[in-house]
Amino acid sequence: MNILLEFFVDGLFAAIAGIGFGAISNPPRRAFLYIAILAAGGHMLRHLLMNYFAMDIAFSSLFAGMLIGLLSMPLAYRAATPSTVIYIPALLPMIPGKFAYNTLFSIMMFLRTSHDPHLADLYLTKFMSNGLITFSVIFFLTIGSTLPVFILPKQAYQMTRKNKVL
Amino acid sequence: MTTNDNINEVVDFLCEYASRLLSCGVHTSRVVRNTQRIAHSQNMWVTLEIFRSHITLTASIRGTNHYVTRLVEVPKAPISFSRNSALSSLSWIAYDNDPSLDELKEKYQQILEKPKLSPYLVLLLVALANMSFCKLFGGHLVAMAIVFLGTALGFFLKQKMGQWKSNTFSTFILSAFVASVFCASIAYYFLNPDQTVIAMSTSVLYLIPGVPLVNGVIDIIEGHIMIGASRLIDAMLLIFSIAVGLGITLSIFHDSLL
Repeated sequence: MNILLEFFVDGLFAAIAGIGFGAISNPPRRAFLYIAILAAGGHMLRHLLMNYFAMDIAFSSLFAGMLIGLLSMPLAYRAATPSTVIYIPALLPMIPGKFAYNTLFSIMMFLRTSHDPHLADLYLTKFMSNGLITFSVIFFLTIGSTLPVFILPKQAYQMTRKNKVL
Repeated sequence: MTTNDNINEVVDFLCEYASRLLSCGVHTSRVVRNTQRIAHSQNMWVTLEIFRSHITLTASIRGTNHYVTRLVEVPKAPISFSRNSALSSLSWIAYDNDPSLDELKEKYQQILEKPKLSPYLVLLLVALANMSFCKLFGGHLVAMAIVFLGTALGFFLKQKMGQWKSNTFSTFILSAFVASVFCASIAYYFLNPDQTVIAMSTSVLYLIPGVPLVNGVIDIIEGHIMIGASRLIDAMLLIFSIAVGLGITLSIFHDSLL
């Protein structure tokens, strides 16, 4: 029961985050439901892989991105929107904010401690590891979500065809 | 149907359509395909060369060798998925039904006049989104409330600076600074250093430029390397701007976060 609640909370907050990040880009109103479904599904899968299958954050993000990309095809068809309209906002709740913050924090601390070789080395290593994780997660999320579109281009490019009323 | 008499009018519309579509945050191959569908409906052939701020378009009536070439500027406009969807649908309507140019123009005008989401609703949704982000990163209720307020403040400033037509990078730096300094200064009094870091680091994430990042990767994979690289450089500059805004806050609060 606790596990179910854990996934429900994870999915719920990811869905709210996806809707909010989507709203910035002025999507059609009918797309919000599908953005929420994708954001929740992707984030829950990553949570599952990281916490129950001991997978690292970058490869978990790759699979979560692929799930979002795959699901975006039928959902975009239902919403009669290009698939990017619903999958880009759904990816954003998986941006590795903490690692990005730590990268920036390490740069600042490196500059402040550059007179002390030991501390400077420590912060430089932290900068490299956090920066690499941030870059890998964003890269894998993007690649994972775009792969299905390239595998099924004909289907991916006809999502808006049935929308006769605009 | 296009003739030598109205070819300029059709090409003008193709230029307007392609540049408007690119400006609302669409990846390059979609702009090419959609414009070609519109051209097909008017019995025309068209090819495009697309850069970040300009499009070169060459068109001719099918079966003739009378070519018209135009160079158009891409208008600066906020990203709009709604317009992206509607303009894409318009290209299919054109392709499947072969409407006249006047009918196409009328539908196009209707799309441009569609109302946007209320800015207050967007503000509320963005603040809720960042608050949820804070929860996903392990933030407690107080941290979530602080992030909600800080995001609302930062995003309100971003909206206002957008209305004032301020420089995009200044907007990102200032919005990131205001949101993060608000969260850090309130969290400093009410929360422990760990929660303060979570609140401060999530407060700027609404600024992450997801659309140019993803479109840049799609463009590069599809062979539109130049515009793909331009989009990624744009996205990187915006991320650097966020880092500068957050960095100023960090330099004020760094001792209390160690």
